[in-house]
Amino acid sequence: MKVNFNLNGRNVSYDIPPGEYLADTLRNHSFLSVKKACDEAVCGACTVLLDGRPILSCSFLSARVEGRNVTTVEAVQDDVDEISNFFSDEGADQCGFCNTGLALTILALRKELKNPTDEDIKHFVVGNLCRCSGYQAQFKAIKNYLEAHK
Amino acid sequence: MEANRYLRPATLEEAHQILLQDAKNVLLGGGLWLKKSTSSANALVDLSTLGLGAIKDLGNAVEVGAMVSLRDFELSPLLKDIQGGILIEAVGQIMGVAFRNGATIGGSVAGRFPFSDIITPLLALDTTVVFYPHKEMSLKDFLSFKGRLSDILTHVVIKKSKGPSFFKKVKTTALDFAVINVAIANVNGEYRIAIGSRPSVASLAVKSMEVVNGAKKLSPELIVMVADLASEELLYASTGAASAEYRKALARAYVKRGLEEVSK
Repeated sequence: MKVNFNLNGRNVSYDIPPGEYLADTLRNHSFLSVKKACDEAVCGACTVLLDGRPILSCSFLSARVEGRNVTTVEAVQDDVDEISNFFSDEGADQCGFCNTGLALTILALRKELKNPTDEDIKHFVVGNLCRCSGYQAQFKAIKNYLEAHK
Repeated sequence: MEANRYLRPATLEEAHQILLQDAKNVLLGGGLWLKKSTSSANALVDLSTLGLGAIKDLGNAVEVGAMVSLRDFELSPLLKDIQGGILIEAVGQIMGVAFRNGATIGGSVAGRFPFSDIITPLLALDTTVVFYPHKEMSLKDFLSFKGRLSDILTHVVIKKSKGPSFFKKVKTTALDFAVINVAIANVNGEYRIAIGSRPSVASLAVKSMEVVNGAKKLSPELIVMVADLASEELLYASTGAASAEYRKALARAYVKRGLEEVSK
């Protein structure tokens, strides 16, 4: 079957098997920033934005994005570079595998929540697991990034 | 997953016909647990274009369309004040925001998932489930219904009850399934106690509710007695996450704590 949607500002039409998940479709078309880790809707590494809101692409059927807008980090490189700098400043990076999903979640957080509390931030990013860095440094980096955009 | 076809019916009637044609035609909610629940389907049936994505104020109740995402449910101003906000507290503990943006209330309820953190508080409230073409029943009756569902869940209707409530999800880490979850609500003077993830799907602790609701006053002794009864009257089982005995002990502790809180 065909699925037609807007990917990073460009209309695309892909041939997919009916039961294919979005992470596979995107990776099959060379959007390798979309990571697969747990592959069962837990860890958040596969996060992309659907109409500006984060979803777990490893468990979201590709056919469901028909007519909608999908964003990966390739489309928001400047924002992601900026977030990366805040992460570097706090030593919040190690392997970086979870960063793309986390960066998109942070962008969605910034758009959705005005003046979030510490609890609001934790509640929003809890679904993005990091296996190596720990969360305190990440949390500080996110707070600094949001503070810089007030 | 393996599927032969992906269908977007234009009407509920068409969706229902497709469902009846083949036992391997699968209705899609959010589809987040599809990988875990089934490995193949004949047709995947997408309900997202059937107008089931709205939350409506019915006056004394709120009608939630089956395709409303858990995140929209969580953010709805219509739902936040029901019974002290128990639904919002519970749904906010289901995985992360990205998960809840994809998962739907219809999928969560129709799936009757044993680990569900939203079925338990819905059961503690006065919740009705509405099906196409013709069934409407209490959530309690739906949860005890046996066999394959041949109708389509279209809406969940939640009474706008006020009053104190308690919800506790016991989990090892933030994204874990519940080891057990407990919801207690005083709905118009009547206590309702629901316990889920035992690990089977949530049930009302009916005998305990009878004792509480038959009492003139909830004394500390009575609360302890009811907590014991609630931990005894339902079945608990062991899994890799917790033993039956541990679940039972948790049920006892949190029913006690919940009743103390709700009866203040």
